[in-house]
Amino acid sequence: MLDYLQNLALANWVRSSPSIFAYSTVLTVHAVGLAIVVGVNTIIALRLLGIAPGIPLAGLRRLYSIVWIGFFINLVSGCLLFIAEAHSMAAMVAFWAKLFFVALGMIVAGLLKRLYFSDVASVQAGIVTRVGRNLAIVSLVCWYLALIVGRLTGYPDLVSGWLGLSGGGT
Amino acid sequence: MIEGIANFLTVRSMQTYVNAHDWVWPVCEMTHYVGMSLIIGVIGILDLRIMGLFKSIPIAALRPLIPWAVVGFIGNLLTGIIFVTGTNSGATFYVDNLSFQLKMLFVLLALANLLIFRFTGLERAVYATPAGASAPVAARAISAFSLVAWVLIIFFGRMLMYNDTLLLFLGR
Repeated sequence: MLDYLQNLALANWVRSSPSIFAYSTVLTVHAVGLAIVVGVNTIIALRLLGIAPGIPLAGLRRLYSIVWIGFFINLVSGCLLFIAEAHSMAAMVAFWAKLFFVALGMIVAGLLKRLYFSDVASVQAGIVTRVGRNLAIVSLVCWYLALIVGRLTGYPDLVSGWLGLSGGGT
Repeated sequence: MIEGIANFLTVRSMQTYVNAHDWVWPVCEMTHYVGMSLIIGVIGILDLRIMGLFKSIPIAALRPLIPWAVVGFIGNLLTGIIFVTGTNSGATFYVDNLSFQLKMLFVLLALANLLIFRFTGLERAVYATPAGASAPVAARAISAFSLVAWVLIIFFGRMLMYNDTLLLFLGR
């Protein structure tokens, strides 16, 4: 399966084309998407935790459209980056941990919409319920852990060393 | 000139420290990414609102978020200084790198843009814009520029590791 993905013409192109639109741009776009997803989720969580209380909660909910744009950008760029180096990515603990926290972050966003933003009375009255606050904290934790372990995918040897696995390199 | 700047910005003791502690570089990178996310989240949404999206939010209500972007910027300035002064290849890797030069150019342009926003009185007009209303056209132009600049700053920041690809693309 990993062989199949990694040998796709598209995967080859992303990995080894000298074109600026191949690996380097896909990676760059992935960083922009990350900033959008983490940044906007951060704003939403900060507002729910009491920072910038002047932002109407119904208006805040609309910011999820931007989160979705960032998520879509990174889903596409992330798939391209994965198939380009399917074997080495799939072998990384940090990569799977990142996917886990991204998935959890998206689930928490879904729960926020279902359990808090759908509570029209509270939202209209400008009240952030306890569920809303707790989910905001979990959301922040998920997105920043995703960011941290995502960056660690660039340091497989270091991670192996920390985990006491037999890593190469140093 | 580039060589002189690079020599000045290469700090032996910082290189030694970074070399001796393998966690320093990745931790600085993570911090740099956190700062980047805070800036894009706060400034990006503020820009979009000034440009006319999310009109149900009064622009002034976004103001308390700005210190978070400032903290992100300062964090990135500091970690950026560690990268430039502490890299093994010497600061010349950054200073003599077109992607890095373009990144710094857009950082300066974004800051100049901010000063224009502040000192032409546009900022006051913008923060007086209530929910449902549009910001002045000049402010929208400033915001559009800001948004493009910050995205390009990320673009060239990530691209500096692939500067050869950029040079090839430009036929240089």
